[in-house]
Amino acid sequence: MPKIVGIDLGTTNSLVAIVEDGTPRVIPGPDGSTLVPSVIYFDEAGQVLIGNPAKEKMVENSKNTVFSIKRFMGKGIGDVREDLPLLPFEVSPESEHIIRLKIFGRDYTPPELSAFVLRELKRNAEAVLGETITNAVITVPAYFNDAQRQATKDAGRIAGLDVLRIVNEPTAASLAYGLDKRKQGTIAVYDFGGGTFDISILKLSEGIFEVLSTSGDTHLGGDDIDETLIRLVLKDAGAGAASASIPAIRKAVNKVKEDLSTTEIAEIDLPSLPYKRSLTRSEFNSLIDPIIERTLKPCRQALQDAGLKPNEIDEVVMVGGSTRIPLVRQRVQELFGRVPHTELNPDEVVALGAAVQADILAGGKRDMLLLDVTPLSLGIETMGGVMSKIIPRNSTIPASATEMFTTFIDGQTNVKIHVLQGERELVKDCRSLAQFDLKDIPAMVAGMARIEVKFLIDADGILSVSAQEQRTGKYQSIEVKPTYGLTDEQVEQMILESFEYAEADIEARLVIEARNEAETVLNATMKGISDDEYANLSEDEKAEIAAAAKNVRETMKSNNHQAIREAIERLSNSTMHLAELIMNSAISRALKDKRVREIENG
Amino acid sequence: MDYFEVFGLPRVLGLDLQALEKTFHELSRKYHPDYFSTASAAEKTQAVRMTAMVNDAYRTLRQPVHRVEYLLSIYGFKSDGSKVPQSLLMEVFEINEQLEEVKAGRATIEEIDSLRVQIKEKREKFDIELQQAGVEWDELIEKGAADDKLKTQLAKLAEILAESSYIRNLERDLEAA
Repeated sequence: MPKIVGIDLGTTNSLVAIVEDGTPRVIPGPDGSTLVPSVIYFDEAGQVLIGNPAKEKMVENSKNTVFSIKRFMGKGIGDVREDLPLLPFEVSPESEHIIRLKIFGRDYTPPELSAFVLRELKRNAEAVLGETITNAVITVPAYFNDAQRQATKDAGRIAGLDVLRIVNEPTAASLAYGLDKRKQGTIAVYDFGGGTFDISILKLSEGIFEVLSTSGDTHLGGDDIDETLIRLVLKDAGAGAASASIPAIRKAVNKVKEDLSTTEIAEIDLPSLPYKRSLTRSEFNSLIDPIIERTLKPCRQALQDAGLKPNEIDEVVMVGGSTRIPLVRQRVQELFGRVPHTELNPDEVVALGAAVQADILAGGKRDMLLLDVTPLSLGIETMGGVMSKIIPRNSTIPASATEMFTTFIDGQTNVKIHVLQGERELVKDCRSLAQFDLKDIPAMVAGMARIEVKFLIDADGILSVSAQEQRTGKYQSIEVKPTYGLTDEQVEQMILESFEYAEADIEARLVIEARNEAETVLNATMKGISDDEYANLSEDEKAEIAAAAKNVRETMKSNNHQAIREAIERLSNSTMHLAELIMNSAISRALKDKRVREIENG
Repeated sequence: MDYFEVFGLPRVLGLDLQALEKTFHELSRKYHPDYFSTASAAEKTQAVRMTAMVNDAYRTLRQPVHRVEYLLSIYGFKSDGSKVPQSLLMEVFEINEQLEEVKAGRATIEEIDSLRVQIKEKREKFDIELQQAGVEWDELIEKGAADDKLKTQLAKLAEILAESSYIRNLERDLEAA
């Protein structure tokens, strides 16, 4: 089993961690630092620096040094317009549905930029572990929507990583805290990072971490505190401070913010403006109080959704660099009436948790299981621009819902479905997720077609849709147009364009990956054939499995990854029915065992 | 497979929530995709589908009103909380008028409180009726009663559910106002 790393892809800093001998640890970079600043510097010659060396360039080369890119993931220009005046980047005109930053004449999307940081982490892990790393678990804010999750997965693929799971940051943190030593209880995780805020309420029982509710704001973090202070300086300094000095101001106020967590007074000193003033902690507190107040509302919402009162929470866990601020700790303590846990380094705890989840996936830890939820309700557009909810927020994932659609005109062969995320009544107030076109519906009288559409949110919190016409039993082809995000073809193009791989490397990698997958599928097929349920297949089905398996074995010898993939696809399809039979019989066996046990136990 | 079968239960309405949670955890430990990350694509797909069904079933069954709605849907009954049930026509007319006053900001705090109590009492009355009808249903199932008896009881459940859903919607409107 190849190693799987856990990655915290943060707004400000990113980390990579791994479980070895049962203990998670963060893997440092060559400079010995465990934190890789999520900063990317480009120079004119096409050289790219990532992390600490890039951070040093932030003030002098602000136009071509990218930071806080996470805030742009899965977003269009309309979503971030108010941030742009304080940011030094040049935005490409083609940014309506996906923001593109223009750097030395080339456009970069947020997933491509994040991929630079991921590649750096991958290199750091490979240097320490001494092997190629291709599998990862990556964390995201719990309140990330579908597009933001998909963008994170795309970033992984562009960086050459197979993203086995997207995990929510607060939930990952709860895994790292070793709270499973406690047999039962309720936990609140307050995660206040550089750019995002999350609150998750969990129920713990015998190693199962069940998320009851989650809430948050994907645009609320330490960056907002910095920006409040930047505005203060700009106001004080008046017209003398040109926008060119913002990067220097940002650096200075960031330091003051950090200092004020341990001192009572600190100084903002900007000799280049020139500008100088001292700031006391109580002045700072009154400036940031409205921002902290904005985190408390989601906390109350999450408690209400979980059906719990603040005093029914047994443990409160603090995550994210912004929880170092004394006023934040004080407010959280007041709300829950108990002292929050701050033992683990709030910058590292998410990465450690991601490594624990990676270990669970690798088959290491079977006693722990994470049951997470979808943060936002999923719905479809109905008549009159109303959003009709089909999967409510805080549903445990994977989750599914089935809806029936029909045609309105005689002979209609197309049906459009508009999928949304959000809590509001009207479509215009929700987040558009994608448009699905059901195509090739058999021509019938209006209202006769019955198309069953199944919406499935997977364990990553990402939606997929399948459709079947009930009268003909025919699976419908679906064309997906993501509202915010990249198509599969675009991601593949980006992989090809990425600096890391020459074309030949990619070809070779794709062939190896396809062969590995073929091996896995063949093994699973052999296992399936030896199961008792195999006898229940028709002769035709058995013959098709045998033919498809033979085809895979032969195709594997070639260097044509597409042909191997097609052969795998055929074999997978041929064994679908068998897999279903085996699963179903396992379920009824499990339930029977349970009844027997219950009788035995009296 | 219906949701009751997923949990190995007969189609009854009186459920032990602790036992339900226990089965939920057991089924999750068996089928969660986390345990199939090294399996073939077909097994992975199957694990996601199975777990989704277990989760959908748990979400539906643990909540008493959703449980009744789901039971009715298995038998082809639809319960619509948006139409005013005949039996409530007069009362609802009156309550709606008062609700309009609240929304327009013309009601005093005392009037709002009294309306809130009035709606709550009504809802609680239906909750009790719904529960009783559920107990009757469970008895029919246990006895293995004939189809026509079941049908009559389902119709009764559907009617009470429509009434109680309507009142619950009013309650929500009042909280939102």
